[in-house]
Amino acid sequence: MSTNTTNQNRSGLEKFWDNLRALPEYFRGTAFRTGVPNTDRTRSSFVFGNLFLHLHSVRTHLWSLKWSTTMGLGIITTAAFLITLITGVLLMFYYKPYPDVAYLSMKDIHFVVPTGRFIRNIHRWAANIMVVTVILHMARAFYTAAYRKPREFNWLMGIALLAITLAMSFTGYLLPWDQLAYWAITIGANIAQSPRELTDALGLTEYIDPGGLIRLLLLGSDNVGPEALIRFYLLHIMILPLILAMLMGVHFWRIRKDGGLARPVDAESRLGVLPTNTYPVFTQAPAKTYQLAAVVKGRTPLVGRGPESTVPSMPHLFYAELAVLMFTVFICVTLALISDAPLKELANPSVPENPAKAPWYFLGLQELVSFSAFMGGIGIPTIVMIGLGLIPFLDREENGTGEWFGGTGGLDVVKRATFIGLAVPIFIETIAISFGWIREWFPQTPQIIVTFINPATIITLAYALYSIYLVRRYNSTRAGALGLFTCFLCGFLVLTIIGTYFRGPNWVFYWSPLDWPKH
Amino acid sequence: MDKNKYLLLWSSFAAFIVLVIAALSDNYWKDWQQIQKNARADGKTIDVKLRQIVIPELNTTDRCVSCHVSMAPGEQAMTGHNALLAHKSVVHDTSSFGCTICHGGQGLATEKDDAHGNVHFWPEPMLPKEFSYAGCGTCHTPLSVPNLNTLTKGKTLIERYDCLACHRMDGRGGTIRPDGGGMEGNDLSYIGIKGYDLAWYSKHINNHNEAQTGTWRNSFGEISEDDQKNIASFLSTRIGAPKLIEAKALFNSLGCMGCHKVNGVGGDAGADLSRIGFKDPGQLDFSNVTAQHTLANWLAEHFRSPISLVAGSQMPAMGLSEKEIELLTMYVLSLRRRELPSSFSPKDRAKVIQFKEREFATDGRTLYGTFCASCHGRNGEGARYPNTQAFPAIASPDFLAIASDEFISNTIRKGRAGRRMAPWEKDGGLKPNEIEAITKHLRELGKTSFTPEITPPRWVKGDANLGSRLYKANCSGCHGLKGQGGEGPALNNKEFLGSATDTFLVQTITKGRRNTPMAGFENPSPIRQALSQKEVEAIVTHIRNWKGE
Repeated sequence: MSTNTTNQNRSGLEKFWDNLRALPEYFRGTAFRTGVPNTDRTRSSFVFGNLFLHLHSVRTHLWSLKWSTTMGLGIITTAAFLITLITGVLLMFYYKPYPDVAYLSMKDIHFVVPTGRFIRNIHRWAANIMVVTVILHMARAFYTAAYRKPREFNWLMGIALLAITLAMSFTGYLLPWDQLAYWAITIGANIAQSPRELTDALGLTEYIDPGGLIRLLLLGSDNVGPEALIRFYLLHIMILPLILAMLMGVHFWRIRKDGGLARPVDAESRLGVLPTNTYPVFTQAPAKTYQLAAVVKGRTPLVGRGPESTVPSMPHLFYAELAVLMFTVFICVTLALISDAPLKELANPSVPENPAKAPWYFLGLQELVSFSAFMGGIGIPTIVMIGLGLIPFLDREENGTGEWFGGTGGLDVVKRATFIGLAVPIFIETIAISFGWIREWFPQTPQIIVTFINPATIITLAYALYSIYLVRRYNSTRAGALGLFTCFLCGFLVLTIIGTYFRGPNWVFYWSPLDWPKH
Repeated sequence: MDKNKYLLLWSSFAAFIVLVIAALSDNYWKDWQQIQKNARADGKTIDVKLRQIVIPELNTTDRCVSCHVSMAPGEQAMTGHNALLAHKSVVHDTSSFGCTICHGGQGLATEKDDAHGNVHFWPEPMLPKEFSYAGCGTCHTPLSVPNLNTLTKGKTLIERYDCLACHRMDGRGGTIRPDGGGMEGNDLSYIGIKGYDLAWYSKHINNHNEAQTGTWRNSFGEISEDDQKNIASFLSTRIGAPKLIEAKALFNSLGCMGCHKVNGVGGDAGADLSRIGFKDPGQLDFSNVTAQHTLANWLAEHFRSPISLVAGSQMPAMGLSEKEIELLTMYVLSLRRRELPSSFSPKDRAKVIQFKEREFATDGRTLYGTFCASCHGRNGEGARYPNTQAFPAIASPDFLAIASDEFISNTIRKGRAGRRMAPWEKDGGLKPNEIEAITKHLRELGKTSFTPEITPPRWVKGDANLGSRLYKANCSGCHGLKGQGGEGPALNNKEFLGSATDTFLVQTITKGRRNTPMAGFENPSPIRQALSQKEVEAIVTHIRNWKGE
């Protein structure tokens, strides 16, 4: 830049020319006000000066960056959500949420819209990946005991996010308006109506019918029709994503406010010598913790800690996050290229699919519903949700936080619980499939007895008893929680596999779809 | 961190490659794009773009013309790919009808397998080429179609009288011009729709008489009145779908409608066939069909052996020839009857649905062929299928000699409650004049007239106890201990007992029915003695004691 004096002598046109030439640099300066992030200071301001990055801490602990700490599951889930968001918006340009027309617009997306089918495939795969990774992410948080103080509330946020992720996926399932969608949603709505089994058994349905009300609220009518479609559409594209985005914001913000990811007390010594090409900062004991100590109540997460192996988030964390994001994108687009999302015949209310199956992540529930609608549809899911939510409030132990299978019992309990968790449902299912259940043995049994004594409740009870046994044996709530959570995952797995692969027409057990009776 | 950088680099790079592949395959590598790129019209290339015919009233969007470009409205003949062949000339132009309304398939699709509908989850695959005429049935219902014999006769007459010398019909004939120079005769292929001068014969014969030499003199001659009628009946079926008419004529000869309803007319024992051609192959059991899994092959196999495809089916295997099976398959495939907006609803359908006009000709022979032939035999000889009751030989001269027209038409009208014979005066049954025509036709089949009885309807007064014993010994084996029927017809039947006279019964027992298991009892057989007149009357008395429950 020329000096002021020479500048004054230049003509207006020359000044204009100078400004024009300096434009790119000047623009860069206004957009990225802190300059190139190559010092501790600029790296910090790069993070907090940016709306999208400032949810991150400016420094990240090396423990958090270890691949084994998180396996990137949270980021994969977030990435999958972003992918569904972008592809979903693209699909909305063509999708028409009205019966029959909806199906035709799906066909148009498949056959005419350039890469329409590909985009729909990406959307579908990303949604499925999101459901899988949100469950795995929860398992990670559980097994590393990351839910403990001060992260109890964030664990609850996580459970809410799990529920909303499932709801997002479920509401999207109806939109193609094909036979698969129509009957899956019919089944789903009937699961939602399951409290009626209890009110029926008690003879209360004509006075109070919460099951029917839930179903009516969900479908907006007695059957899956235009009202249900517009409801599901609105939930899928607006209401649930907004709630999800909001809760995600809270979830991320709390990670930071709760002191980053959980890590063992002795994380520093476990990390050992830092690699040479990292850019550590504050390697000496900090003179102060850089917190607004006067404003923040209680002790900040850093008080009482020694020197920490933190590195600037820019670039360490962001490269890691971007890498996981792009890897997720790669997986989604590759799956989308090789495997098409299903689209069956136009929905036909007079030709039921047999078997009509809910989306795969609800097939475990559908399996339970086949024993008792109330227990499978409402009772057990409620117990599981409450149980999951209570974990951090009951387990107040401290040993093992931030470690895989940390805490009392540890991997030992997990291994044994895996065995129990798999064996119990397989055993009970074998009995139910081979010999039937109470209804087959004593046809006159009142429904209320079947509602409370059935394979679903027995599996749940067995899990609960085993967990209580673990609490007593190890004298530790964490041991019980480890057992219960492992059992829950195993039960989910077994029931989902049975529901997906071994249930045929009329929900009868078959070893293979090849054995299904023909129409 | 380096690992992350490499992961970022490689996954970005790989994702980018996948995106490029997806973009290319969707935008440049599609089959229809390749076909259009290689297409040449008059040696020139054509615009590469998605082409479609949208008919909002029919709710169809047919993208078939993206590959079959020459068949699109306003396009000319092209070379470069088999798909580019032009459509043969038909009455319906593609611009106002599209493709799928006739051919079936998935018009929305832009890839071959999807478009032709040979994929899972598309309930309406394309009609196979050899059954293309079945597509007409989507909207049309050919009217007054005679039985196959009559149709073939009409066709033979047209050939025999050398009509095809001047006229074209269904792509044949019309080569000689009268007087070597004048106009050739008009095309008869669509004459059933267009109509024709009813005075054609007198004009033709005049020309013939006036001409001294030449084609009029040589190629035309007198035609008998009967033959004129046959020709007229044949011409009324020339609506541009000769193969479909032939198929329907066969249908009207096999007696299918004795059990099946089509468009509200027919029996109730079998499935309603009005929309059977739209059956979703995905919902059918193909485990006993060895041929390719198409609806046509399923139907053909079903005609060969109904019970092996539909568990518990009552339909007998009719013993049809392969040629007949092919024709029948075509006709059944044509039973589609799609919902249409009024602007697309053809007259013939309106006549059948709204005005209850007949799809079949109403001469006795066709009516018999349409409703009766499957059970009573194509010539009234009776029939017997495995696992069903035997059906009476109603053209037996022995029967016709003693059965009055009233008895026969009464039987058709009221049926036989509890047996397979339906009361045909029911809704969707036969009109009185049609029943009369069938009765007449039976007389023609059996070539026997009724000898009026001189006795009153009830005159027999025999020994009921003797009759009961004799009945038990001689009749109950076939007709049942209580006359409920079995191998033989039910006798303890209200309608039967009401209309059968004593003479009818006595004669039947005495003379029997030739060529059926019912032997005449006036003669002894190797296993029993003859019955005397008194004993026969005793049996009739015993039968008369039943009330017909």
